[in-house]
Amino acid sequence: MQDAWSHLGPLQWIRFVNKQIKVTAGKDEERRGWLVTVDPVSASLVLVDFREDGKMSVDMVMGHAVEEVQVLQEADSETLDRLQNSLILPKTCSLDAEELRRRRAFLQTWIQKNRIPVEEEGEELRVAGVLTIRAPYRPDDCCSSNQIILDRIQKLIQNLN
Amino acid sequence: MAAPVSVLRLPKGPDPNSRGFDPKSPRFIALCRTSISMSAASEADPEEQQREQHARTTLRERFLHCLLAMTNKKVQFHMYEKVKVEATFGASDIDMLHFQVSDLHTPIGVQKEALIRCHDVISLTFDA
Repeated sequence: MQDAWSHLGPLQWIRFVNKQIKVTAGKDEERRGWLVTVDPVSASLVLVDFREDGKMSVDMVMGHAVEEVQVLQEADSETLDRLQNSLILPKTCSLDAEELRRRRAFLQTWIQKNRIPVEEEGEELRVAGVLTIRAPYRPDDCCSSNQIILDRIQKLIQNLN
Repeated sequence: MAAPVSVLRLPKGPDPNSRGFDPKSPRFIALCRTSISMSAASEADPEEQQREQHARTTLRERFLHCLLAMTNKKVQFHMYEKVKVEATFGASDIDMLHFQVSDLHTPIGVQKEALIRCHDVISLTFDA
């Protein structure tokens, strides 16, 4: 039964997310917490526990050590909110469309002033055909497979703010 | 704060690239699969495969963010044989096989930099 958890797969694992879980691992070690994610590479679970002082204690249980996983309860909307806003999750963009459009135009002008070709592609900016900038157009929102251009554009955006 | 001890060179194990880090050693191959492969159901059905890939991406992205949140924080490692050690988390490798840590507090002193085998770890805890 030891490897059963590791073999469940992403479609099963994702069903456990945002639920309160009890994990038995190693030799009789038990961990409880709200499941944030399961790593598809190692089947490791990430659990959080909210403490009274407002801080979070995070537990990562290695996939290879998992013996048993039990669901205790579903998250209510308040817990769901706290989980979404915790520092350990990717931030979703919360600006309105008008503000985004303004920022995008401003950034596009700035990049063009620096003599770099940039085009608007829907809500994203495409720079020199190799780099994409998504909302909300901060240095961390740049994606590219070219490390040098990524560096340059990130520095450029940073100088703007 | 405890002063770091000089690096102790323990006696070499039996393998030429010993202590289980050699990727060609039988122990490594038996214990450390580099990744969990796609399910059989997905191999048959492309729609299922897309859903599985989407779930895989979401889960992995969240996990990478968790690893990022962990960097430079004090982490407690719970390992086999009731070993509990504390260290400052540095990084993990892509396959979750090794953790790079600093200031590892062990019963024989503080190791300034160390590599911990993920397979020796049961769980780890930190405060966010």
